Amino acid sequence: MASATGTPPGVSLPPPITERGGVGWAYANLFGNWYNTVLTFLYAAFLVLAFWFGLRWIALEADWQVIATLGGRLIIGQYNTEFACPGQNCFWRPQVSLLLVSVLLGMVWAVSRDTAAKRIAIGVAAVTVAFAFLPYSMDRMGLDVRLLLAANLPAVAAGRVLARYTPLGTVRWIAILGVLVFLVILVLVRGLPGIPGLQPVSTTYWGGLMLNLLLAVTGITLSLPIGIALALGRRSSLPLVKLLCVVFIEIMRGMPLITLLFMSQVLVPLAFPQDFSSNSLFRAGVILTLFSSAYMAENIRGGLQALHPGQVEAARALGLAGWQTTLLISLPQAIRNVIPAIVGQFISLFKDTLLVYIIGMLDVVEFSRAFIQGNAEYLASARELFLFLALVFWIFTYTMSYVSRRVEQHLRVGQR
Amino acid sequence: MTMIEALRGLTYYKGVPLWRHALVIQWALQIISGVVVVVLVTTFFTNISNTIQDREIPHGFSFLSREYQTPIGQHFLPYESSDTFRYAFGVAATNTIVVSIVGVILATALGIVVGVARISGNWLVSRTSLIYIEIFRNVPLLVQLFFWFYMVLALPPVRQGYVIADRIYINNGGLSLPWPWPSNRDAAWVWLAVVLASLIAAVVLHHALTRREVLTGRPSYPLITGSVTAVATAVVGWLFVSAAFGDSPFAISVPAPQGAFGRIAGGFTISGGLMALLTGLVIYTSSFIAEIVRAGIQSVGRGQMEAARSLGLAPMAALRHVTFPQALRVIIPPLISQFLNLTKNSSLAGAIGYSDLANVAKTMTQTAPAVSIYILLAAAYLAMSLTYSLIGNLYNRSIRLVGN
Repeated sequence: MASATGTPPGVSLPPPITERGGVGWAYANLFGNWYNTVLTFLYAAFLVLAFWFGLRWIALEADWQVIATLGGRLIIGQYNTEFACPGQNCFWRPQVSLLLVSVLLGMVWAVSRDTAAKRIAIGVAAVTVAFAFLPYSMDRMGLDVRLLLAANLPAVAAGRVLARYTPLGTVRWIAILGVLVFLVILVLVRGLPGIPGLQPVSTTYWGGLMLNLLLAVTGITLSLPIGIALALGRRSSLPLVKLLCVVFIEIMRGMPLITLLFMSQVLVPLAFPQDFSSNSLFRAGVILTLFSSAYMAENIRGGLQALHPGQVEAARALGLAGWQTTLLISLPQAIRNVIPAIVGQFISLFKDTLLVYIIGMLDVVEFSRAFIQGNAEYLASARELFLFLALVFWIFTYTMSYVSRRVEQHLRVGQR
Repeated sequence: MTMIEALRGLTYYKGVPLWRHALVIQWALQIISGVVVVVLVTTFFTNISNTIQDREIPHGFSFLSREYQTPIGQHFLPYESSDTFRYAFGVAATNTIVVSIVGVILATALGIVVGVARISGNWLVSRTSLIYIEIFRNVPLLVQLFFWFYMVLALPPVRQGYVIADRIYINNGGLSLPWPWPSNRDAAWVWLAVVLASLIAAVVLHHALTRREVLTGRPSYPLITGSVTAVATAVVGWLFVSAAFGDSPFAISVPAPQGAFGRIAGGFTISGGLMALLTGLVIYTSSFIAEIVRAGIQSVGRGQMEAARSLGLAPMAALRHVTFPQALRVIIPPLISQFLNLTKNSSLAGAIGYSDLANVAKTMTQTAPAVSIYILLAAAYLAMSLTYSLIGNLYNRSIRLVGN
């Protein structure tokens, strides 16, 4: 049957060149038909132009000196200035806090089954060690600070060893240590009266990226439980509890955060004319947490609503009490299903910590803006500075969404 | 013995001790939470009113009819410093509403383009829009706004600014465009009314002709007839109104440099702050909308597209008539909440010198009672969010699956 020119039976030819390898990929993805080809060429031309001008600007025209000038002040703001910390160098206190975080990261690396923890721990250590060798022209940054920065690498290693060879290497211990470390950091940065070397630094002078991170960590840890409580309250069968939760959530969600922060600055001192209300950092933390927990509540409520009613019915049929059903059956499944939304809310909380500028706190962005405003010779470098800040924030938020994707993969959401 | 028995009996209800009875616990919980909240709220407001009286801080709403006496940067309603607080508040609210509406339209358009590009079969196109989304979604809006603000400031000054076709001027003062200003106010109103009527007529006609086409199968050209009707009525109306008032309703004013300093006069000038604000808001929000659009289109089963293609619909027609209407149902609710976010995010305008509602209200607190202004501000923002939610809910109801 097979003709002279045909393929002999039993022999299979390789697929044609347009279907395999690099050519096949290019054919399928770039040059499949005429409008795809036109699109590809237009896009390629645009991208080449954009890269050419972008790289030329970054390498030749942009003046990155402003970032070296600000240096460590981007991280701590006014914390180490003469009026915040008179007669002392206080830079070591945030540095030691960072060391503690590095130890924790090393422990997480040792315990976690995922490569994400390893990458983050190594990344943090590498970046801090690199910072120790950068030529800063900043005030009060001596050899000791550089040594402390370089110590982050051994700190990560120490954490790893600690988790490997001591009974501390369990998730439960790391969680407890995490809370402890957070409290120690707060005390360390705030200082204790009467102890030499730990003189108190007023929260007015807390600033820079440190302030953003402290507010974000506080908000994240507190807004999740408050959000869960609000979500449960909103789905409660008790009319009064439900009403209160709905009113709270809708008021918080209906107003811009900036307005809430500014209101808190004017109204809270009027309502509670005591000392504690004059602490704007405390107020900012409370407002950020409450604002974020209203959004968190809506995310969790979405997860609870998506849960199949059979789950709750089965739990009740097995004889579980109401609180057991909620804590052991509904919530774990609901939260697992909305992890992307929850992490999205964490990310937007982190991005929202910038808004404390409205009540006069110098976070990293407001500090930079004030610096540009006050030093006209740097006005031309403002774009470089804000591009750099954008990169810094992008690294943090992208890391958060990366971790969330890994967690999701481990819990195998979407495979059920 | 009997006394204790009786006491024990009192603390039991239907065989369950009171402290474990569901009904009792529920009621106790409600009463306690209610009392706590009422006490907190009353303490808060009593303290505020006491402090206000003790320190003799001005309060009440009588300030509303006083003169504001503070300039407002860019404004879309005519405004003088001698106008009242009430009017100034309205001017500021209009500023926020204009930014919100323009921003929503531009961000939706850009977001749909990027979102559709994200699922394009072209690798280069989909990768580029992935990078666009990941960059602009993850960088805080305030950083982006400052970046654009300093970009605008880095533009050349007025005399060395860019000029496009002698009509459009771009410089560090902002963007000046030709703009149709009403030359005769009465004529403009009459003509706008005519246009509105013609639009309504066109929509009614379109509906009726579509119905006829569906029912009888005869081609009735609803789209062409409707648009021709609208345009023709508008043009005829323009001629009639011009003849009746002796003046055309609108005249296009072209911006041009004037005087020794080359200041741009005429046309419509978008200030640098507004330019930076709109650029930042639109790009930031569009990256979120793109993800919503992508998820919506991908939520429509693959079989829908395949069925449409095998029935002979062209790719674009299949997207327009089969995929997109189904995707809309998934897209609309999160889209509305993005519109709301954009409106609330526009309150960052104060940081880059645009007088939006929050910024003007903040300035007002220096010369007027803060508590009253906050009540007004909260009411204004809540009204805006409720309006968006209402529109969203109405639309949602109209596209809901039948029988759901």
